[in-house]
Amino acid sequence: MNQTKLLKVINISKSFGGVQAVRNVSFDIKPGELLGVIGPNGSGKTTIVNLITRFVKATSGEVMFHGEKINHLPPHKIIRLGISRTFQMVRPFYKLPAYKNMIIPLYSPRVKNFVGGKYGDRDAMALDLLEEVGFERDSFVAYKPAGILPQGYLKRLELAKAISLQPELMILDELFSGLSLAEVASIVPIVEKLRQKGIAIIMIEHRLKELFKIADRVIVLNYGEKIADGSAKEVMANDDVKNAYLGTEA
Amino acid sequence: MFTGTIIYALINSVILTLIAIGFNLTFGISGVANFAYGAFYILSAYSTWIMMHSFHLPYFVSVMISIILTMALGALMYQLVLKRVRGQAISEVIATFGIGLAILELFRYLGFVGFEYNLPPFIDSSYMILGTYVDMQRILIVVLGVIIVVLLWLFTHNTSLGLAFRGIAQDERTALTFGIDSDKIATLAVALGAGFAAIAASIIIPLGSIFPSEGYDVLIKALAVCIIGGLGSTGGVIVASFLIGFAERFTDSYIGSHWTMIVSLAAILIVLVVKPSGLFGKQKELEERI
Repeated sequence: MNQTKLLKVINISKSFGGVQAVRNVSFDIKPGELLGVIGPNGSGKTTIVNLITRFVKATSGEVMFHGEKINHLPPHKIIRLGISRTFQMVRPFYKLPAYKNMIIPLYSPRVKNFVGGKYGDRDAMALDLLEEVGFERDSFVAYKPAGILPQGYLKRLELAKAISLQPELMILDELFSGLSLAEVASIVPIVEKLRQKGIAIIMIEHRLKELFKIADRVIVLNYGEKIADGSAKEVMANDDVKNAYLGTEA
Repeated sequence: MFTGTIIYALINSVILTLIAIGFNLTFGISGVANFAYGAFYILSAYSTWIMMHSFHLPYFVSVMISIILTMALGALMYQLVLKRVRGQAISEVIATFGIGLAILELFRYLGFVGFEYNLPPFIDSSYMILGTYVDMQRILIVVLGVIIVVLLWLFTHNTSLGLAFRGIAQDERTALTFGIDSDKIATLAVALGAGFAAIAASIIIPLGSIFPSEGYDVLIKALAVCIIGGLGSTGGVIVASFLIGFAERFTDSYIGSHWTMIVSLAAILIVLVVKPSGLFGKQKELEERI
């Protein structure tokens, strides 16, 4: 077993009826590494996230976390191991105030185990976490119902929920989508900080320019297959990647 | 007569709240429409009666054991049957209705029919309230109804399990990403709903007798309240209970008792036409589609 690998995805495949969404994809990630996953629409990026967290069941292949096979476990058990995820389409509890959205993950079994069964003041923890991702402490935004918050805050809330679970691996599904350049610029240092803490991060992104500035490594998917794996510079120089994004000349 | 009608309308409304709150809780959290709900209500009452008369256990102990047994049966029903069909609404309805039917008809088959099958009131006395005699059992129903609703609110807003319930109720996929075991929560939701049916039975049944057919009436009343209030909405259940409760009593007093059932059915029809997701319903997509 390679101790430096936190997560290994081995020859994973998924077909929905006759459609092969993911085909024999393999990759791995080390603690503190930021792996970008890119590819055209429909290339299987979100399916990969769902396969790792077992929101969908793989047709074949394996997912190993800390050297242990996890793809037979239900999603809640995978999350409890230390893998947190965000959704491409934000999924807050719309009726609850933003900080109350944090209370539910802060009550989760993962957090309970992590803090030795003593939660402390969860409201304070929630507000601290929200401040960490850019909710201004004095603006009272954290007290407003999630349903009325603009997209930028909802993305931050999504990130804060994922952080609150004390993860070793975070999977961020299109965190930057729908955000302005200024908003992305303010979130990038937060992601960098998480990586510096030793958290492995998988970022599914369409915002390539912003992703390439922070990714250690990038894999490219096309029609469910991995077509490139390397540094941002290497993958963008790859002919298969150029063809996937730009098409081939007739 | 008017004051008396108001007092009995209030009692009737709390009875409807007690009857519907368990059904609504289970649906709101797990999405399961438990059509065995009325059967659980009757099963719990018969179970109390059997423990009192065959095993000579004290009344309060019998009630407590019946509540626990009914909850256990609810949990068992989820684990053995519903877990496999969860998410397929028609299968859930058919499976739970079939189980309910089997329970109710089994009691009828075994001969549990007759006025001797009843439960005694907790306190056998009555009081004059604003010129109207009200027996202590009905006063107890109102007091316990308020206590149960308040406790349920405190539970769902101040405990980790309650928060998990609310999380699953609002978005199951998001709750899963927090490590919440949705099957465990759904099992507890069905068990808790069954427990509420048992609690309702233990305080309402002493007003009459235990009949298997009462199980169907309870199910219809729970459905009527939840459809009008909006499936899954606790506030909706309370408002709808008071709407139907008052409408039924006033119809009974001023029009005729044979019209009271029509009132509930008419209320369902009007709400389904005007606001298909119910007064406080969450299923807005239904309205958008219609």
